Amino acid sequence: MSLLLFSVLVAAPFFLKPYGIYLLSLWVVMTIAAIGLNLTLGYAGQISLAQGAFVGIGAYAAALLTTTGWPLWSAFLLAIALSLAIGWLLGYPALRVQHHYLAFVTLAFATLVYLMLRNEEWLTKGVYGVPNIPRPTLLGWSTKAPIPFYFFCLGILALVSAGTWWLVRSPWGRAFTALRENALRADSLGVDTRRYTLMAFAFGSALGGVAGVLYAPLIQFIEPTVFNLNLSLSLLLMVMVGGSGYFLGPFLGAAVSVLLPEWARFGSDALYLILYAIAVMVLMAFCPSGLLGLSERVFKR
Amino acid sequence: MHAQQTVYMPIVIEVSGNGAVSGTNFRDGALMAIDEINASGGILKRKINAPVSDTQSNAAISRAQVQKAIDGDPYVILGPVFSGSVKVNMQLAQQAEVPQIVGAEAAEITQMGNPYVFRTSFGQQMSMPKMAAFVANGMKAKTVAFLWVNNDYGKGGRDVFFQEMKQRGIKIVADVSTESGQVDFAADIVKMKASNADVMFIYTNEEECARVLREARKQGVKQPIIGETNVISQKVIDLAGETAEGAKGHVGLTADAPIPAVQAFTQKFQKRYNYVPDHNGLKGYMGVYAVKYATEKLGKFDRKALAKSLHGMTITPKQEPGILIETTWDANGDVDRISFLVEVVKGRQKVVEILPKLGK
Repeated sequence: MSLLLFSVLVAAPFFLKPYGIYLLSLWVVMTIAAIGLNLTLGYAGQISLAQGAFVGIGAYAAALLTTTGWPLWSAFLLAIALSLAIGWLLGYPALRVQHHYLAFVTLAFATLVYLMLRNEEWLTKGVYGVPNIPRPTLLGWSTKAPIPFYFFCLGILALVSAGTWWLVRSPWGRAFTALRENALRADSLGVDTRRYTLMAFAFGSALGGVAGVLYAPLIQFIEPTVFNLNLSLSLLLMVMVGGSGYFLGPFLGAAVSVLLPEWARFGSDALYLILYAIAVMVLMAFCPSGLLGLSERVFKR
Repeated sequence: MHAQQTVYMPIVIEVSGNGAVSGTNFRDGALMAIDEINASGGILKRKINAPVSDTQSNAAISRAQVQKAIDGDPYVILGPVFSGSVKVNMQLAQQAEVPQIVGAEAAEITQMGNPYVFRTSFGQQMSMPKMAAFVANGMKAKTVAFLWVNNDYGKGGRDVFFQEMKQRGIKIVADVSTESGQVDFAADIVKMKASNADVMFIYTNEEECARVLREARKQGVKQPIIGETNVISQKVIDLAGETAEGAKGHVGLTADAPIPAVQAFTQKFQKRYNYVPDHNGLKGYMGVYAVKYATEKLGKFDRKALAKSLHGMTITPKQEPGILIETTWDANGDVDRISFLVEVVKGRQKVVEILPKLGK
C-alpha cells in the first residue's frame, strides 16, 4: 500500500502543471506536520492545539537564516532543536492537565507564538513578513524550479515516514500507545509515563518544525498571520479526518484538507467551501475515527 | 493566448475570508466591465474569458490560484486586493511576465522594482500625505489619536502617517493597535477617548471600521472621526448605520464622486448587484478598461509590450469612457488621479473637496 502510494507520488509531477505540483508540495509539507501531531495526539493521546505554532517556528527559522545567507540545513538543525526543546517544555502542563484543559494550555501557547512572531519586529520583521525566501541548492542541484523542490520535500517526507514507522514499532512507540490507552495501567506496569508524555510532545513538535522549514521556501514569503490558530485547527482536522492513531491517517487527512477544497472548485462562488465543510461534518458525525477508521469498519464486516 | 477567439484574463480574488468585502466588490466591478466589453465585441474582436478563483484571503492558497492562472497562459491577471496575498504571488506573475492589476495599497508593493505589477488605487505613500495635509490644514488639529489594524496594510499606513505627522509637528497622543476580525472595541475606544485628541483617525478594514464607529457612538465620543478610504466607504456606512454620520476623510475613489460618469457607473452597478459599490468596485471596473485601452492602442496582444506601455500612460475618459476619471500610471505602476475629501451625510458620502492630481 505504502509502496504504491510512493510510486504514484514520484510519477505524479511529470503529469502535472506547476499549479498541481505546488499543491502536491503543500500537501507534502502539511502531511509532515500532521504526522507530528499524529504522534502526539494519535499515538500518545495528548491533545495539542499548538502544532501550527511549531510550523511557524520552523518557517521563521528557515526564512530568517536563509535570507541572510545561511544554508537550509542549518535552519533544519535550529528548527528541530528549538521545537524539541519547546515541545518538551510544552509537555509539562500535560503532566498535570488532560483533555480539554490541555487543549486550552496549548491553545494559549499557540496564540503566544503568533503574537511574538507579529510583535517582535526586531527579530521577525513583524507584520510585513519575510519576502524572497530562497530555495536551497543541494550538492550543486538547484531546487528553484517546482519539480526539483517537490522531490526535495518528498525526500524529507520519506525520511520522516521511515523514522515514524520505526518509532511507533519501537518500545518507545508501544509506550506511547500504552499512555493513550490507559495511563494508570501503564504507570503500574513500570512505564515512565512522565518521560514518555514529554517525549511525545517533543517528537511531534519537532516534526512541526521540520514542516515549517519546508513551508518557507515553498511559499517564498511568510507572514505571522499564516501561523495563527487556524493552522493548528486545520492540522488537528487533518489528523482526525484521516484517522487519529493510524499510520497513514495524516497522509489522507492532509489530502482532504489541502486537495479536496481545490477539487471542489467547480463553480466560481463560495459554494465549494460549503460543500467541503458539509463533507467534513458528516464524516465526523458518523465516523469519529476518521476515514481509515471507517474503512476498517467496512472491511471487518 | 488560450483559444484564439478569446483573451484569458483570470480574476484571482478574495471571495471568502477577511478580504471578502473588498474582493467581492473588485470582482463584481471587473465582471461588469468584462460583460460590457464582450457585449460590444470584445478587445480587438476577441471576447474576454475571466474565470474567478477564490483565494480565501489566504496567502498560500492565493499563490496556488495565481500559479493555476499562469498555467493557463493568461494575458493579464486581475487581483488580489489583500496586500499580503499580492506580496506572495507578484513574484510568480513577474517570473512569468504577466501583468498583474492589483487592488492592494501597501506602500512597498510598487517599490520592489517589479515591472509587471499595477495598482488601481493610491498606495499609502500617496494617500497618507494627502490625509496629513487635511489633518494639519483642513482640521487644524494639534493632536491625533490613531487606531489601526495590526496587519501589513494597517501598519504600513500607520508608519507613513506617523512620519508625516512628525514632519508637521503634530502629536500622536494615542497609538492603538487592533486585530483583524476584532469584534469588541470597547477598551480601544476608552484609550482613544482618554487621550483627549483633537481628532480620531480610524484605519482598519471595512467591517471593523463599522464596529469602531458603533462603539464610539456608544461611548459618546465627541471628537471628529476621520479615516482614509475605509471608514467613509459605502460598505461601512451601510454597516454602521447612523453612527457613521459626520465621519470625514480622504478617498482615492468613491462611488459618490460628483462626476457624471462615476454616478452612471454606480447606478448601473447597483441595478445589477443590488448594493452600492465601494472603491474596490470602481478599481476592478477601471482596471479592466485600462487593459482594454492599452491593448487597443498597441493593436496586438503582447504582455510585455502591454506592461511597458502602461508605465507612464495617461488615459482620459475622452479616450476611453470606461476609465471614468483621468488616470496616470507612473514608472513603478502607481496610479495618480484626482481624489476627494468626503463627509458622511445622511447615509451617503458627500464630496467636500476635490484634490488635484499630484502630477509626479
